[in-house]
Amino acid sequence: MGKEEEDKEMEMGSIVVEKVGGRSSVVHCFSRYPLKFIIPKKVGSSRTDAVWVYALNYGGGIVSGDQILCKFSLGDCCTMVLTTQGSTKVYKSVASKCSRQILEARVGSDALLAIIPDPVTCFSTARYYQKQVFNVSSNSNLVIVDWITSGRHESGEKWDFDLYRSVNNIFLEDGQPLFLDTMLLEKEKIGCIHELVQDYQVIAMILLAGPKLQYVQNLMQDKVKGIMSEQLQHPSGALSNQRNEAGYLISKPSFMASCSVFGTKKTSLVVRVAAMTTESVYKFLQKQLAPLESMLGMAPYR
Amino acid sequence: MQISEGCNNGPCLASSISQWSQWQLLDSLLPTGGFAHSFGLEAAVQSHLVSNPDQLKTFIIHVLENTGSLLLPFVHSASVAPNLETWHHLDKILDATLTNEVSRKASISQGSALMRVGSAVFSEIPSLKTMRNASLGSGTVSFHHAPIFGLICGSLGLDSTDSQRAYMFITMRDVISAATRLNLIGPLGAAVLQHQLAPNAEVILEKWKNRDVDDACQVAPLLDTVQGCHGYLFSRLFSS
Repeated sequence: MGKEEEDKEMEMGSIVVEKVGGRSSVVHCFSRYPLKFIIPKKVGSSRTDAVWVYALNYGGGIVSGDQILCKFSLGDCCTMVLTTQGSTKVYKSVASKCSRQILEARVGSDALLAIIPDPVTCFSTARYYQKQVFNVSSNSNLVIVDWITSGRHESGEKWDFDLYRSVNNIFLEDGQPLFLDTMLLEKEKIGCIHELVQDYQVIAMILLAGPKLQYVQNLMQDKVKGIMSEQLQHPSGALSNQRNEAGYLISKPSFMASCSVFGTKKTSLVVRVAAMTTESVYKFLQKQLAPLESMLGMAPYR
Repeated sequence: MQISEGCNNGPCLASSISQWSQWQLLDSLLPTGGFAHSFGLEAAVQSHLVSNPDQLKTFIIHVLENTGSLLLPFVHSASVAPNLETWHHLDKILDATLTNEVSRKASISQGSALMRVGSAVFSEIPSLKTMRNASLGSGTVSFHHAPIFGLICGSLGLDSTDSQRAYMFITMRDVISAATRLNLIGPLGAAVLQHQLAPNAEVILEKWKNRDVDDACQVAPLLDTVQGCHGYLFSRLFSS
């Protein structure tokens, strides 16, 4: 089966946003089971020009073997937000099937696309592959939050899934790759995933790209530098003198983050976070993405 | 000139000479500046992620694992097609793939040094020099390390598996060297550890070798995060 035919089979949703009468408007919206889009008529201030789309999965999550493809097209100067109503639960894999969720988005010139979902939570033995591909113009703006929690930690499920693979690729107009990132956590290949992430329960990536987001990027860099500089101490020499009196290791930071600038003009930022609680990441996102309220109409993660 | 009794033609001499080149490429004496980089170890120590010898060993294994998953595809592809077009293509993809600014800069600095040294040292491969000159000042080539390493290995006649194993070797060599300079382990302990980890490195090589660059991925998110913290260190020994 050719790619186009495969796509048609898998296509569960598509949305096109264009300027109509000077306002970002949904000119095309399609979704079918198990995916559903909810597009409220008004979100936040009516002065802001932004379309908010809530993506829901029937059944509250992604079931083993689900194959979901969504295509979005955002016209020049438009603003669109894609978010969820709760964390995306990926249920256990049946017969080793892998669930796939693929998003392809085309973002126009001077447009802003914000993908700000709740985190993904993979249950024990789940197999999940997520791919997000963005085709952007040189002055497009992107906010992408992609994050995963360790599982149902109340039940003691920590990093107990079989496979999690998350791809985020950004291409410029001429097809040049701007950002190619794949994270793979696979039990079979790595053994114990828990060993790789230690006591951290949440892994997050926050990406901010484009001229409209310079201010938010600068604030983010300052904040992360501030948080980490406090945590990192002067080197204390040889190993094994870093235990306290009780013999326990001096604790690692419960929230760790670092920023990297990328792109030829260095106008993009990617933040990597590892945290021991989901709450601390929600708080971080709330605070750091609050300045987006003026562009989106509502602050993310409130 | 007689090399040995049983050796009476060109290829035998050529393969012996190429061993000298291969060993020189892997020798830490080659001035490529590998020792300016700690692979995130310095930041890991200062954030207490690595506080004892066991954690050091685990850290090194994770670095090797991530090298395998993320960088071996570039070494592999370059070694099987050691030409200008392939090199430039891989360099561009790797620049977009190394999303961690600290490791991206380290890759560029090591790659540039390796290309400069390699084209000067291995003068029997004039294409290295011409490729280098054609790429300097183009503004579009970053001179990333893994593709250049693969390019030189391929040009020296190393097969792809050996090239990838060699890349794993120098990565392990450099992290362990960083550990001694950070005073985490003594020189003898470092040598013992390096030998102990060789079987791990071989398993990791088998797992991740000969993959396409489209499949390049990160498998150690904590490592990526902590390595990115290098710039926040109050006092540091290494550039990354």
